[in-house]
Amino acid sequence: MTLKASNQQGASSFIDPQALMCIRNLELRARAVVEGFWTGIHRSPYHGFSVEFTEYRQYTSGDDLRHLDWRVYGRSDRFFIKKFEDETNLRCHFVVDQSRSMTYGSQSFTKAQYAATLAATLAWFLHQQGDAVGLLTFDEGVRDFLPTKHRLGHLRLVIDSLQKPASGTGTDLTVPLEQVAMLLRKRGMVVLISDFLAPINQLERALSRVTAGRHEVVVFQVLDPAELRFPFESATVFEDIETGRTLFIDPASARKRYLEQFNAHNEALRRLCEKLGIAYQQLVADAPLELALYGFLQQRRSRGRRGRPSQRGAEGALPKGTGS
Amino acid sequence: MSFLAPLFLVGGLALALPVVFHLIRRTTRERTVFSSLMFLAPSPPRLTRRSRLENLLLLLLRCLVLVLLALGFARPFLKNAAAPPDPEGLATRTVVLIDASASMQREDLWSAARSKLSDFLRQARAGDEVAVMLFSSQIDPVVQFEEWKASVPGERAAMVLSRLGDRKPTWSSTQLGTALIRAAEMLAEADLAERSTRRRIVLISDFQEGGRLEALQGYDWPKEVELSLETIRPKEPGNAGVQLVAESAMADSGNDPVVRVRISNAADSTKDQLQVGWGLSNGAGFAGKPIEVYVPPGQSRIVPVPVPPGLTNLDRIILRGDAASFDNIVSVIPPEIARSRVIYLGTETDLETRQPLYFLRRAFPATRRQLIQVDSVKPEASLSAADLESAALVIVTDSLSEERAVLIREQALAGRTVLVAPRTVGMAPTVARLAGVESIPMQEQTGGRYAILGELDFRHPLLLPFADPRYSDFSKIHFWRHRKFGLSSFPGARSIATFDSGDPALIEVPTGKGRLVILASGWNPDDSQLALSTKFVPLLFSLLELGGGVAAPTAQHLVGDSIPMATGGSAPWSIRGPDGNTLRVPAGSTNFSGAVQPGIYVVEGSQPLLRLAVNLDPAESRTAPLALDELERLGAPVLQKTETGETRQKERQALLQSSEAEARQKLWRWFLVGALALLMIETAVAGWTLRQTTLPEGVSL
Repeated sequence: MTLKASNQQGASSFIDPQALMCIRNLELRARAVVEGFWTGIHRSPYHGFSVEFTEYRQYTSGDDLRHLDWRVYGRSDRFFIKKFEDETNLRCHFVVDQSRSMTYGSQSFTKAQYAATLAATLAWFLHQQGDAVGLLTFDEGVRDFLPTKHRLGHLRLVIDSLQKPASGTGTDLTVPLEQVAMLLRKRGMVVLISDFLAPINQLERALSRVTAGRHEVVVFQVLDPAELRFPFESATVFEDIETGRTLFIDPASARKRYLEQFNAHNEALRRLCEKLGIAYQQLVADAPLELALYGFLQQRRSRGRRGRPSQRGAEGALPKGTGS
Repeated sequence: MSFLAPLFLVGGLALALPVVFHLIRRTTRERTVFSSLMFLAPSPPRLTRRSRLENLLLLLLRCLVLVLLALGFARPFLKNAAAPPDPEGLATRTVVLIDASASMQREDLWSAARSKLSDFLRQARAGDEVAVMLFSSQIDPVVQFEEWKASVPGERAAMVLSRLGDRKPTWSSTQLGTALIRAAEMLAEADLAERSTRRRIVLISDFQEGGRLEALQGYDWPKEVELSLETIRPKEPGNAGVQLVAESAMADSGNDPVVRVRISNAADSTKDQLQVGWGLSNGAGFAGKPIEVYVPPGQSRIVPVPVPPGLTNLDRIILRGDAASFDNIVSVIPPEIARSRVIYLGTETDLETRQPLYFLRRAFPATRRQLIQVDSVKPEASLSAADLESAALVIVTDSLSEERAVLIREQALAGRTVLVAPRTVGMAPTVARLAGVESIPMQEQTGGRYAILGELDFRHPLLLPFADPRYSDFSKIHFWRHRKFGLSSFPGARSIATFDSGDPALIEVPTGKGRLVILASGWNPDDSQLALSTKFVPLLFSLLELGGGVAAPTAQHLVGDSIPMATGGSAPWSIRGPDGNTLRVPAGSTNFSGAVQPGIYVVEGSQPLLRLAVNLDPAESRTAPLALDELERLGAPVLQKTETGETRQKERQALLQSSEAEARQKLWRWFLVGALALLMIETAVAGWTLRQTTLPEGVSL
């Protein structure tokens, strides 16, 4: 789903990415988004989230009496232990693309900066909830890896690592995702942020390995508006930012084919995510980040409603205290 | 407008450069960085948009600068400016020089030269004046200007050709320089009033390398005399020639007689395998087995040709195997040993090392050309008149009996040379008898200071070899003793040398056809240092030569040379040429210059028989084409070098006029000034454009 469309309706209440990117500090940027979101979410019509229990089970001796459901005992005179979702065991891994194609930006900021802000925002948000966040950055190989921890200092490390400039020459999703699949022993959530400007067929195998580890995977495809619309006019030599390859391109004649292929690529990516049960979200770099956050939560909620017992662990991502 | 150097207009092609640069600038500067070219395919260049030029004004200015530069370098001029009068319209005064040297005997060069001449004569107009001359080492006028003018215009060509008749090329060398100077002077000395007449020399020749141009060196070529060349070339190029190599008479006397020849092959020869050997007198071929010689083109080899034993009447060495045959025979007189005899009348034996005979024997070594036999005759030994007749020189150092003295005097009267060197004053009667006088007072001068020769008459044939100041110093020779006698005692005697005391040292007394030479001292060490000095041997040879006992030197003579004849007598004499004709040489003439063809010339009636070998000038054999630049270097204004006739000459004239007009008008300066002005405008415009593009929007200048 593209958040571009919904940009118009809530434009007044969201922070313009251009203005947001003027904040140099990534942490401040993340806090600005999250706090704005918190403020906004109280006024928002979307509520009804709550801590949800998962199951009852028979009390056995030794169980903590605090978890005993006294109402059920009052009705049925039986001891049942009310089992809640584990609220702190969400381990969220951010897998962020730092290849050089991410340094492209037709606006005042690059896709990499946007992606870093997005990751920092989500991380800050999750950290606020007490979830553990970890980070893995990659280009053609794995660059940084920070395991999931719930400490403020750790969050700072994550944010610092996100601030490093992107320098890789290629985008290879296979290696980092295999690495993730190997490193993440405990089930968790994997948030993959990239432009996915790489062949789709490589991606399928890597993503299926991650989902096979029963991780919940959320994919954010960050794109520049120029990539989406190809607004160039004059015929010039186009240079590939990653490989340096040059081609003489006349946009007037090449645009149609480019848009066709580009959209086909994105569609293939979306289909692939659907097939693997992965939440896919395309973000254009001029869209407010709150919308991304909102979309993220919306995603979580619909997933929760659909009931994915196998993916329960991720339910904790929903903001607490927003119960219906 | 015309151009002197239109090739520079090609520089106008450089116009493409600014256009290309203006286009290149567009394509190279603009680059768009994009995240991925994954979805892009290269699009074909769209010419309509790509080739759109920017900054048209700048482009125009730059192109104009280039155009002006190219035009300026092409040296433009306007043709309608007053042109000098057309030289074609002028009457022409021409000297036609036809090469008649030996090298023109090749193939059909001579007939080609004749046809060139008739071509030229056919083109001559009625107002033209023509003189025709043949040249080799000499210049042979065929038709003079006066004769040309005197004849009817329509019959002039026929007249010249009939005058030329059946003249053939000579055997002489090519004195090209001399002939050109003569022709140029003929034209230059023509009346100065006829300024409007065009003057030129037409030279018909094979332009061989051996043509002598040295005379042109330092010659100031007269102005307005043009030289046009008509070159004739044989169909088959190349030639090899054979020449004698001069040899020293002293060389290896002991070996078999050998004649050395130089075989030189011209640079343009195609053949290098040649045969050389003695030829038969009738020209039928080799007298023996020829020698195979390999001479690469442009090189020469010296080949020794041994005289075959048992063959007589050899007079030529011939060469075979080259393209042209005119120079393949060299006339040679085979070397012969001349024998002569000296009779010494004295008392001493050969073993007495301090006596005159001992030194005399050593003064006449045997050489390759000459064998001189010294016979010592004792006073008591018999001596016949026949013995004396065979001798070239008689030397007397001791008293002789009366009959013998008379015998010797008779020989002297008959033409023999007698040298008397009295050893003692006791010989005075013998000297008197030999001189044919009653008595001669003679005193011995000895003791005290030695005498040296004070006065010498170097004009006398005896001392002529010492006339050169390098050899004329006789003061080193000391005479310890000498016999004093008066010159006046001998009638008609001539003093050749006198001592520093004034006494005669060497006198010549003419005796009939012969002469008596009296030396007042001896050459033996007791008398003087003469025998030990360097003058002794030459002096004796001079004496022998006076008596006709020295073989005539075999000099090389060339066709056309003036050959000095030593035997020039009072009566006319005749020489038989190689073709059998007899040439008369007038009385008193000391030179023979009638050798017009190569071969052996025999002086009739000479004793011994005097033969002269006359050969071609070796330079004639060098038939490779002459570098014609050499003529221009020597100052001759060559008009045309090829046979294409008048067209190239006309072109050259036109070019000359054009360059004069261009030099007068100097239009190129204006083009350059225009180019500079445009460059300045271009700089200003370019600067303005640059400022416009670099200033931020909204800021105006």
